Amino acid sequence: MPNDALRDSLAERKWIAALAEGDPEALGGLYSMYGERIFRYAYRMLNNRSDAEDATAETFLRVLRRSAELRADGAFRTWLFRIARNLCIDRLRQQKLLELPPDAQYSGSEERSTLRVTVYQALEQLPREYQDPLVLCDLEDHSAKEAAEILEISVPALKSRLYRGRRALRDKLGSLLERTP
Amino acid sequence: MKSEIYKKLVDLYAGNELPAELNDQLEMAAFNDPELAHDMATLRKTVDILQRDSEPEFTEESYQRILLKMYSRGAAIQPVAPDPAHLQYSLPMQG
Repeated sequence: MPNDALRDSLAERKWIAALAEGDPEALGGLYSMYGERIFRYAYRMLNNRSDAEDATAETFLRVLRRSAELRADGAFRTWLFRIARNLCIDRLRQQKLLELPPDAQYSGSEERSTLRVTVYQALEQLPREYQDPLVLCDLEDHSAKEAAEILEISVPALKSRLYRGRRALRDKLGSLLERTP
Repeated sequence: MKSEIYKKLVDLYAGNELPAELNDQLEMAAFNDPELAHDMATLRKTVDILQRDSEPEFTEESYQRILLKMYSRGAAIQPVAPDPAHLQYSLPMQG
């Protein structure tokens, strides 16, 4: 196991055990380990900073509420992303009802922001079963195995959805691909 | 039949998952097959656009706002700074 992964695994075990004992530093420890990744994932899902902050906070609050059930067996990170995903999907449903606009311009040049908005709009039009693998594997760089665990599907099913999703996104982007260097 | 196989290979090609030998073979095949060449180029570009997308910035303000949201919902949370670099690795003991 590489040094970073081993260190993270040990730290994760320490904080989960501490959380079960009611140590007030434990949630902060897990937040310092995973807060940024969960926030980024939520932002990719929701295209909105404020909503992503809410979803991140709620994800860690769920960790706290279920601290007695947590096991430091390597599945924690997958479970954390699964919680975040479910919260984001709930929020997207609410947004759809309220027709709130997305906010995909988080950084970069105007040209890249325009490209990002177009790509995210195309992504949003895809079925959820295609969006999930694209966000997890291509945007967030999870391995196929990890993404499959988060989505609770097999690796072959994940890959099949990922490949079909890429083709569907390609078809939506159409002429934009010709114009993008 | 062969084009069906190529189509499956293109999915792997787009994600840079093909071994070098098959990658070269597919690129050779695309020379004489404009449809295959278009499929390969556009699909790989789609993947590149996604993978090159810059990460949403996790600002200090966002970090603090999330902490505040947790406090306000009753969580007893104490921020923890990452371990300093010199404490992150244990050195082997010499007996």
